[in-house]
Amino acid sequence: MVQFLQQLINGLSIGSVYALMAVGYSLVYSIMNFSNFAHGGVIMLGAYFGFFALTLLKLPFILAFLLASVGTTALAILIERIAYKPLRERQAPFLYFIISAMGASILLENIVIATIGPTFRTYPQVFERTPIALGPLAIGRLDLLMFFISAVCLGGLIFFIEKTKMGKAIQAAAYNIKACALMGVNTDRIILVVFGLGGFLAGVAGVFFGMKYTVYPQIGNITTKSFIAAVFGGLGSLPGAVLGSVLLGTIETLVAGYLSSQYRDLIAFVILIGVLIFRPSGIMGKNTVDKA
Amino acid sequence: MGKKNMADILEISRLTKRFGGLAAVNDVSFSVPEGGIVGLIGPNGAGKTTIFNLVTGVYSLTEGEVKFKGRSIVGLPPYKIAGLGITRTFQNIRLFKNLTVFENVLTACHLSASYNIFESIFRLPRFRKEEKELVGKAEKLLDIMGLTERRDLVANNLPYGMQRRLEIVRALALDPELLLLDEPAAGMNPDETEQLMKLIGRIRDEFKLSILVIEHHMDLIMGVCEHIVVLNFGVKLSEGCADLVANDPKVIEAYLGTTEEA
Amino acid sequence: MDWSYIQGILMLAGINLIAVLGLSLLTGFTGLFSFGHAGFMAIGAYIGALMTVSPTTTPAGLGLPFAVGVIAGGAAAGIVSYFIGRITLNLKGDYFCIATLGFGEAIRLLLNNVQIFGGSRGWPGVPYKSTLPAIVIVDVLAVIFLANLVRSRHGRNMIAVREEELAAQISGINVFRYKMIALIVSAVYAGVAGVFFAHYMTFIQPKMFSMTKSTELTIIVIFGGLGSISGSVLGALILTALPEVLRAFEIWRLVFYGAAVILIMISRPKGLMGGMELTPAGIRKVRMERRARLDAQKETQNGQDGEEKHG
Repeated sequence: MVQFLQQLINGLSIGSVYALMAVGYSLVYSIMNFSNFAHGGVIMLGAYFGFFALTLLKLPFILAFLLASVGTTALAILIERIAYKPLRERQAPFLYFIISAMGASILLENIVIATIGPTFRTYPQVFERTPIALGPLAIGRLDLLMFFISAVCLGGLIFFIEKTKMGKAIQAAAYNIKACALMGVNTDRIILVVFGLGGFLAGVAGVFFGMKYTVYPQIGNITTKSFIAAVFGGLGSLPGAVLGSVLLGTIETLVAGYLSSQYRDLIAFVILIGVLIFRPSGIMGKNTVDKA
Repeated sequence: MGKKNMADILEISRLTKRFGGLAAVNDVSFSVPEGGIVGLIGPNGAGKTTIFNLVTGVYSLTEGEVKFKGRSIVGLPPYKIAGLGITRTFQNIRLFKNLTVFENVLTACHLSASYNIFESIFRLPRFRKEEKELVGKAEKLLDIMGLTERRDLVANNLPYGMQRRLEIVRALALDPELLLLDEPAAGMNPDETEQLMKLIGRIRDEFKLSILVIEHHMDLIMGVCEHIVVLNFGVKLSEGCADLVANDPKVIEAYLGTTEEA
Repeated sequence: MDWSYIQGILMLAGINLIAVLGLSLLTGFTGLFSFGHAGFMAIGAYIGALMTVSPTTTPAGLGLPFAVGVIAGGAAAGIVSYFIGRITLNLKGDYFCIATLGFGEAIRLLLNNVQIFGGSRGWPGVPYKSTLPAIVIVDVLAVIFLANLVRSRHGRNMIAVREEELAAQISGINVFRYKMIALIVSAVYAGVAGVFFAHYMTFIQPKMFSMTKSTELTIIVIFGGLGSISGSVLGALILTALPEVLRAFEIWRLVFYGAAVILIMISRPKGLMGGMELTPAGIRKVRMERRARLDAQKETQNGQDGEEKHG
């Protein structure tokens, strides 16, 4: 029982990191109806930004964190302007967006390999790593921090979407962006904000990921799992992304703990295939019907 | 309920389609007699295109029955229904835009051949023979419909009126017995509409078709249709010949609204 | 630069070409994008190796002739693709992409765990059988078969599916069936490419068949131009040979790919060939289309001039 709870805690902590990543995918999908595969690359660069902020610039932790997130926000917006905006303007079919996204993802990953190099980097230890004891259970300090910050970020995001004017505009655009444009809403600005938000969260997720594990150019591939989590929860639904991530993180950890760590990555794909067969719109996703 | 006419090529009975709580089509019944031209009219949103989608299998119906030549076609996928002999055109033209006029029609002729993939890959005799027949058929169709001169034009570059004509030709390539036309005169000027009216009458006779037309252009409807069905809010308001329908108070109210009490 | 070096490049390009041609049918002609085709190459590679590796090298090997390996590898990939297609071809466009990505990765992860194939450490000892003449022959056959398929009612139906799926349905085309045919043929091609790959490298490892490889293949198809066989041939040659020639810039190869893809998408999504074929018939077709367009323009021009005169 204790082991089960312990695994549960571990699962929740990785789930919260997946949630930060998955929300970025869902946000973009809800507005623009395509899967932004470049998101993984942005997360990876967030990890690198944080790393270099800490080691090269020797900034204090909080500043490094912020710098990384600001960096990824700018990067996400840059990618949108270069790789997606021209397609939007030409009303290209959405598949072109996915391909452009794939190109961006490969570009980012390999620019890092070509310039900085593929060696793994470890984050310097920023604070005490001894776990906090909760009875027989151990909670890592880092995990606790991740969970807490993730909750704050996600809470902030929900507040922003529900309560602010821009947030409501985003909701409207998620429902029907063409109608929004016809109503005179500046959809360009909405898209900018959405990508910026996703980029910010990517930075936070990237730094945490780098702290918990290591920093290497292929981090983007791990984010494939957060993408699966977003699909699991329902692409386009923010609560769905969080739910899917927490579930995926937990299931994954339990499988690795009780069966074998060999199957850890595989289970994510089994879930993906299962979702696509039985319920492609995910747990909470939206459904679209093609009108003749 | 009218008496059942054994020569009805299409029978729609109590057709209902609900999207969630909304009934887009509600308990609609009417028939298309064999060889007849029937008009389906009504204000926007009345459910006319939905009926087309239900008949062609694009939507699944919630309740009711659709019979083609006496046999139920409910639940069949669109491609099978097309194979049985019902084809259509679309409100917003859905040509194969990047293909040429000729290629659009040639593609649609595919059901007239039966060679398989193996025979295609190895260019066996049956492939060669049937492919020649397909090409001949496509060319003949283009000729009948006056599109031969433009056969190499990419469909997207056709003038609007000809795009609509091409869509009709493509539908004819499947040797249909029932042709559904969805607002074929949309965007046309009076001259073009006049030509279209003649075309519809002509193809009905030459190709031995029955035709069901959705239209807003009243001159086309009145001029060409032998029988008219009026829909509003998914419900059948009226049906009959042009004069009857034009004078039906319910129809007038639907289109013009009731006069206000002074 | 000696002949064996050039030969090596040509052979790799030729092997890539087999997979690219198959993918071209699925993506270029039928309009379905796959990010998992390296998975089919992997199946072909491993099953092919299983057939040909001698039992003395690996207990599981069967030591059969190369031709058996080719047929078995291609067939295995085709069979697997059928089951994948049953599940995924009904999905909406981008969900299909996600599914192919998922399956491609799942295949790779599974192979990592199959110890008789060497697991993630890889499988050495595959006999060297992919000679340049063999590859060239397979390439020529692959092109001919594909071209013949495309220029038939089956090919036209697939193109119709790509152009306007709903209109294709209404025109009596069984869209699911033709998507499945395109998928299976593309998988068989990829499987055969995988067999040749295995018997060229003589060593295979799951990570050779990663998502990156799948994306590379798709990028080549896009670069060459969707719907153009000659585009795929040129694309495979250029994009395989170029980075090899610029050996010093090997690490920049994928950077180039990524940037190229974005550029193509935003400026010339039709790719190198823009949908036309570099054959006599293809060039004639483009000429006829251009003449028809100019004639039509002249007509409208005359019509307008006529109106001006009368008006």
